Amino acid sequence: MKRGDILLIGLIVVIAAVFLVPRWLDGESSEKYHNGPRIAKITVDGKPFRTVELTGEEQTIEIKTEFGYNLLKVHDYGIEMIDADCPDKVCLTFGFIERNGGTIVCLPHKLLVEIEGASGEGDDLDAVVK
Amino acid sequence: MPSLNEQSNLALKRTVIVAIFAAVAVVLSLVESAIPLNMSVPGAKLGLANIMVLTCLYFLRARDAFMMVLLKTLLSAFIFGTFSSFLFSIMGALFSFAAMWFLLVVGRKRLSVIGISIIGGIAHNIGQLTAASLYFNTTKIFYYLPMLLIMGVLTGIAVGIAVKYLIPSLSKLSLFEGFLAETA
Repeated sequence: MKRGDILLIGLIVVIAAVFLVPRWLDGESSEKYHNGPRIAKITVDGKPFRTVELTGEEQTIEIKTEFGYNLLKVHDYGIEMIDADCPDKVCLTFGFIERNGGTIVCLPHKLLVEIEGASGEGDDLDAVVK
Repeated sequence: MPSLNEQSNLALKRTVIVAIFAAVAVVLSLVESAIPLNMSVPGAKLGLANIMVLTCLYFLRARDAFMMVLLKTLLSAFIFGTFSSFLFSIMGALFSFAAMWFLLVVGRKRLSVIGISIIGGIAHNIGQLTAASLYFNTTKIFYYLPMLLIMGVLTGIAVGIAVKYLIPSLSKLSLFEGFLAETA
């Protein structure tokens, strides 16, 4: 280990922290006033497949396309990928997502799930213009 | 013509090393996929194959290492990939190779192999995220970059330590004799 290595590690950790810390703070404050419903946009191969509102009720969404099979589950105002027949299973490691900007990707199946605030959300530019 | 003979001998050795390293890299990624390690960060992995890329860069010329990266990526794509996943891994592999090569040229005195392997791992992640964001036409995937950066530091240190032990032990083998002077 040289001094350059330690500087490098420090630099990277600081950069990561700059992005992560506001996200944690934001997460804590948004729990206090559960702001509005969120929607999950599901796209397959660049085309919109479906949008679902993220509610507290449990709901499963089955996605069968020419690229493969995926099973999503909506619960507790978030969404989660619970099954897929892709070879690498990376999409299952994304876990439960509930925040704006949260994403689940399944590369082999060209599947993308994104969470967006439906209304009045801070980082939703369209809502601000409205 | 002893000099010509020696030269072709060296070229042969290079080819052999590239082939062996590429094969070992593929085996390492197979081993890695067999380790049930839940990283809890999507896309994060140990990057054991990077051990071979970095060692190759250390002993051989950049173009030999480049050849080795291409071979390794192609072979792993044939073994467990699909065409689309090949595009992502080649993007990551090339980013990672370019970053490590650049650092070896520029910062060899300031950085040890640990620092270089950290950069290599992170560049791999950035390359794959860039490929994915172009492919899906969304920048939201970079949401995961900070977590990947932290994981990249940890796995990079592990890989770097492995390389640090691997280089002196390989240097003792006669196969690598001709290449020590080049790097010293």
